[in-house]
Amino acid sequence: MNPLFLLLPLLAALVAVAADRNGSRVKYYALLGSVVGLAMLPLVGFGTDSLTWFSVGGTAIQITTSITPLSLMLLFLVLAMGSLVIAYSFGFMDLPSEQKRFYVEMLGFETAMLAFAMSGGFILLFIAWEFLSLTSYLLIGFWHNRENAIAAARKAITIVLISDIALLAAIVMFLNIYGTLSFSSILAAGASGSLQLAAMALLLAAVITKSAQFPVQEWLTDAMAGPTPVSAYLHSTTMVKAGVFVVLVLLPLFSEAGMMPALLAIASITIAVAITGAMREHNVKRAIAYSTVEELGLILLAASVGAVFAAIYFFFAQSFYKSLLFFGAGSSIKATGSEDLGVITGLGRSRLVKYTVLFGALSLAGFIPFDGFFANFGIASAFATNLVAYALISAASLATSFYIFRWFMLQSGKPVSTAVSAGFLGLPKSMSYSMAVLAVSTVAASGAFFAFPSVFGMQGINLQGHAGMLTAAIETLVAAAGATAALLFYRRKATVKTLAARAVAEPAHSAGVATVTNAAYAHLAAFVEAVATGFAFFDDRLISAYDIVGHVAVAAGSHSRKIASGSTNTYMLVFAAGVALLAIVVVVA
Amino acid sequence: MLLDYAFIASIAVLVFGSLALRLTSSRRATFAFSSTMLALILALALMLLPLGGSATYMGVLSFNPFSLFFAVLFTAGIMLVNALAYARSRDYGNFAALAALALSGMYLVAFANSLVSVFIGLELMSLPSVFVVLLSKRDSMEATVKLFIMAALSVAVLSLAIVLVYGAAGTLSLQRANAGALMGFAFVLFVAALGFEASVFPFNVLLPDVYQGSGAYATAMLGGVNKKVGFAALLQVLILLFITSRADFMVVAVLAVAAMFYGNLVALLQTDLKRLLAYSSISQAGYILIGISVANQAGISGSLVQIFAHTFLFIGAMSIVAWLESRGRSGIDDTLGLYKDNRFMAIALSVFLLSMVGLPFTTGFVGKFLIFLSAVNSGLAILAILGIVNSVISVFYYAKVLTSVYTAKAGGYRVGVDAPTLAVVGACLALTVFLGVYPQPLVHIAGSASSYLFTAGV
Repeated sequence: MNPLFLLLPLLAALVAVAADRNGSRVKYYALLGSVVGLAMLPLVGFGTDSLTWFSVGGTAIQITTSITPLSLMLLFLVLAMGSLVIAYSFGFMDLPSEQKRFYVEMLGFETAMLAFAMSGGFILLFIAWEFLSLTSYLLIGFWHNRENAIAAARKAITIVLISDIALLAAIVMFLNIYGTLSFSSILAAGASGSLQLAAMALLLAAVITKSAQFPVQEWLTDAMAGPTPVSAYLHSTTMVKAGVFVVLVLLPLFSEAGMMPALLAIASITIAVAITGAMREHNVKRAIAYSTVEELGLILLAASVGAVFAAIYFFFAQSFYKSLLFFGAGSSIKATGSEDLGVITGLGRSRLVKYTVLFGALSLAGFIPFDGFFANFGIASAFATNLVAYALISAASLATSFYIFRWFMLQSGKPVSTAVSAGFLGLPKSMSYSMAVLAVSTVAASGAFFAFPSVFGMQGINLQGHAGMLTAAIETLVAAAGATAALLFYRRKATVKTLAARAVAEPAHSAGVATVTNAAYAHLAAFVEAVATGFAFFDDRLISAYDIVGHVAVAAGSHSRKIASGSTNTYMLVFAAGVALLAIVVVVA
Repeated sequence: MLLDYAFIASIAVLVFGSLALRLTSSRRATFAFSSTMLALILALALMLLPLGGSATYMGVLSFNPFSLFFAVLFTAGIMLVNALAYARSRDYGNFAALAALALSGMYLVAFANSLVSVFIGLELMSLPSVFVVLLSKRDSMEATVKLFIMAALSVAVLSLAIVLVYGAAGTLSLQRANAGALMGFAFVLFVAALGFEASVFPFNVLLPDVYQGSGAYATAMLGGVNKKVGFAALLQVLILLFITSRADFMVVAVLAVAAMFYGNLVALLQTDLKRLLAYSSISQAGYILIGISVANQAGISGSLVQIFAHTFLFIGAMSIVAWLESRGRSGIDDTLGLYKDNRFMAIALSVFLLSMVGLPFTTGFVGKFLIFLSAVNSGLAILAILGIVNSVISVFYYAKVLTSVYTAKAGGYRVGVDAPTLAVVGACLALTVFLGVYPQPLVHIAGSASSYLFTAGV
């Protein structure tokens, strides 16, 4: 059976557009589309299916779908997270006038990702890839009366459309080389030739752009301007996961084309940049957005050394705790009306919110028995044989644990006002229950670590034995150390207040610095942040592919504009010059 | 025989129809509009009637899949422009007559089997078009004069090229000529003269001035239809006459690259929507030229699909510009909040612009895909890569417009659209999406049209 029937969210969106004029029922259609899709998932059978789209000169351009264990996993994640995100939006998106637009765009986004997950060839992949770009553009720019949302959406669409074009170029080359665009045939044929190398390079460019890897990671952190449910969805299962998923599917091709070192280098730099970003960030959503960039880097890192199982499991586990953390951020924003870590307080007022968010943080930091532990364990095991690499990975874990508890502690101060308390206590049920479901999932998903090897038919990672136990012990220690450091740095209210002062950059608050009783912690914290800022300077100012391309193009444009001066004489001259130039070309040729 | 009659009848309907209109309709625009539309539909029906056949008439005209492709395209294009002009023109009666005359010239080019037909057809199209520009806007004199002078220059060059061919080959009919030094120069002159009509850089640097200086419906006609006539002539002459001297097609490749870079880079700086679309259409011509420079059946098919796609993308986008202009808005900044003003227009404009980038499920994707594929398959991957680089550059300015369209604006309110504009935009959108989702018919027709060019007279 062709798995295209799973594109139920598309049907839901069409029904909503056609039947729901004032947008009062659209959210139920949206939830229904996702939940029914999830329920129908067991009907999908493994296998490949092709529909001919059009044929040209004997070459058929086919829309190929393929269901493998890997794509089934992604379909499950997209539908399950889609249902939860939509349920969460019931409470979060309470502005009636914007509901129809929001849910229809969300359904479009979900449809595109489903189509991506089931694609078994480059044509469907490209179509899904392009529509992911467009729907994410609409969602990032959802608040189209806010300056920063507009700027972020423009940056996102510009960068991702460029990646789409790179992908199109790669596809044309693949069709030339292989005469087919289905993944199975291409993988069977293997890699050869310089054109193939060019195609793979373009594919790599498309992948790192989509997955926000160095040097184009910037669009993702800016994309935080969209509504929080969108961020949760975008960061956990859709859009950014598309890039790394392509790498997982076509890993043998990357390996045969000799791209693994490049992948390794890109992933390593990305991880370093992302960690430093997360440590100094004051925006509650951007901080965990940096963490997503780091996690995508980790997946690529594992893939680049051939640790496929570790990469797949990390891909799976990350979805749960990352959407949970974004839901937590959304709750804080909803309750306090601010996105600034220095302003948000009172996370502890609602126990449910506090403990579910804590689950997410513990999982991300890598504490047993959360799925994040097993995910990190897989990555660490892959590097256990190389001492230097292992040390670096552990350092990254330490920093990760530190920044996520910094993020947690900064929000956990005593509520500044009763309004904030009331905000947390009065959070809509649909939001807190969705978070509770995810919190349970972060533990339940650990089971997949043991079930996946048989599902995927590949070698799992052995937790027993001396090596396994040692790695697990070191990992736990590292996570604990990072968490403890963060707790110590940010435990004191005064330290938090200092940071708050810098965060909002208001002179009135900076008077508070003098009253700090234990300045040492504050200074240390400031130092850590200063180092991070120093590194980030490089990231902000120098390595902005977006700006560089833009500036060069504009400079070249302003030069050639002079040709069109408005005078007919000039035009005739240009005409004559053109003829002369062509005559020369003919003579030379 | 039926073919000949059908063909002659369609041209006669137009020419005599337009004259009759001129006499009867100066005051009654609605009557003129409905009768013009009727004539166009009749012409379309007459052309589609003997589908698939092929015949030559008196050695100067020929009825074949290629001519049919273009004749149908021109008729459809003029039909849309006609509706637009009916909604916008201050002097519709004159427009209807001029457009009908221009269309009969276009038919001559499409059905040409001889350089004489190409020459007369282009002249018959250019002169009325100049007057269409003049009548389209109050202060369009500058644009008119520029267009007229440059058209005169291109006619001079075209005559010279035809003379060279006659001198070397001893015939004016469109058939393969032997390569030679003279023919090489004739090739260049043809590219220049017909390239002007097809708005190929650098023979058309006045184009943005003309587009900006004309009323939007006249711009839609120039960029949406007249330019495609230039391509029809260019394709026939280059492929039928010069296909044996393949080295010369390097000239076209050079032009393709120059046109893409010039159009895209300068478009980045534009603040006026019409100028932006002018430069974008220069760069689109560059993509079409890639297909021509490949000079095989696959490449020409791709170019034909792209020509077809751009006709409706351009007319559609220009209709929206015309609608904005009628409300005193013409800059990119004036599209601010368009989504709030009118959702349909905002979505349609987004689809047109994204299709120019190459959005799948639109005709723009099919065209670009086929062109790039043919370039790679013919060992000209470098052209495909330069095309890709240009598509990347173009994203920056299209995204600028898109962002503006979806940005909220204080105090925006719903604005209605007049029926003809709505119909034109709707038709362009429907064609773009329908043939994008189901491209087989378009690809098939373009394939048989291009295969005619390579099999004719062999």
